[in-house]
Amino acid sequence: MMEYGYYPGCSLTGSAKRLDQGVRRLCKKLGHSLAEIPDWNCCGALEYGDRNELVSISGENLKKAQGICREIIVPCPACYKNLKDADPERSFNIMSPLELLNPENLSQIEQKRDLKGQVFFPYYGCLLMRPEGNSIKNRNIMEDTISAFGGDVNGENMKDRCCGGNQLFLNKWATERLSTLILGKTKGTVVVFCPFCHMAMKTFATGRKVVYLTDLLLYVMGESNSL
Amino acid sequence: MIKEKDHEIVFKYTCYRREDFSVCVGCKICASVCSVNDLALNVNPQELLLKLFVGEKIADDHPLVRYCTSCYRCTAACPWQIRIPEVVRAVKESLGMESRFEKAFKKSLDIWGRVYEPFVVAMTALDLLRGGYIKYMPKWMGYAGFHLPHKVKRLKPTNASKGSNPSEEGRS
Repeated sequence: MMEYGYYPGCSLTGSAKRLDQGVRRLCKKLGHSLAEIPDWNCCGALEYGDRNELVSISGENLKKAQGICREIIVPCPACYKNLKDADPERSFNIMSPLELLNPENLSQIEQKRDLKGQVFFPYYGCLLMRPEGNSIKNRNIMEDTISAFGGDVNGENMKDRCCGGNQLFLNKWATERLSTLILGKTKGTVVVFCPFCHMAMKTFATGRKVVYLTDLLLYVMGESNSL
Repeated sequence: MIKEKDHEIVFKYTCYRREDFSVCVGCKICASVCSVNDLALNVNPQELLLKLFVGEKIADDHPLVRYCTSCYRCTAACPWQIRIPEVVRAVKESLGMESRFEKAFKKSLDIWGRVYEPFVVAMTALDLLRGGYIKYMPKWMGYAGFHLPHKVKRLKPTNASKGSNPSEEGRS
């Protein structure tokens, strides 16, 4: 049982509400509590060319977290990268919820369903994997998790390719081409953890489900309407 | 077009110094992994670094500036881990090439301190209509939902740090 700080980020209050709800429910089931950073602000995403401005915006959130928490759960990969960039001294432990899925926590999951006979493509995208120093430590965490519940995985060589999600509203043909390149070389349900990737894959996948890993885990735990 | 004298703003934005790009050995591994090349646009990020290093003009229709996805594949492959997407982003901002979508994003942050998606959609509605996004609406229904914007109480002006000259300090 741990208490973590929580930085949802802007998209998790809107289009990625499902990821927010999934993370909160998953943490509750794992026995962890989340304390939302009070009055948090946008991290700046990928929209700022001025590094100092971006770090200043993201860093405001860490000032607000001071004295409240040292370990902060940050589900959105863009926020995760920016908050890490704003904390070069590593005064905080900025964590993706994926980093909670260690064997100890997974063993606590009360399994009501399995994933046997189902095929999945665990897709990380870019910002959970790069740049180096900011990436998650276990680069197979989604495969490990899905396999632990009996699911088959594929697409190892496409899992960190770019879906072009941040071009969706600028040059959608580019996003379509990059996403379909990935979709064409993989099979099964696409399992993501990034709001950008979810939207890009959902927009251009034909006849394939796109789900957050949190929803898949809640399905395994027997929650209805999780997928 | 970014002229030679305007390169300084790119260095200031990125916190890289001109000499930081002298280490580029021209291996072009960045080009070999660049996602923009999956779009058959034949770009070479190393060439952009070279232009900044020697002080050459950068055209505002450069495909890397227009299409970089910030995937950081170039950075991961680069022997010096140069964060090329951040250089491209700085060039884009220096060129004033930001789209209405990107401007709406920043405007929302200026007003509320957070990105309020209904505002961004409203500000870019014409582009979405003209751009043929309506056909995706059935797939996007799951993203819809209404909430009122939250106004962040404490947020310093976003350009508070612009008074300093980080280009002299370089990256930590």
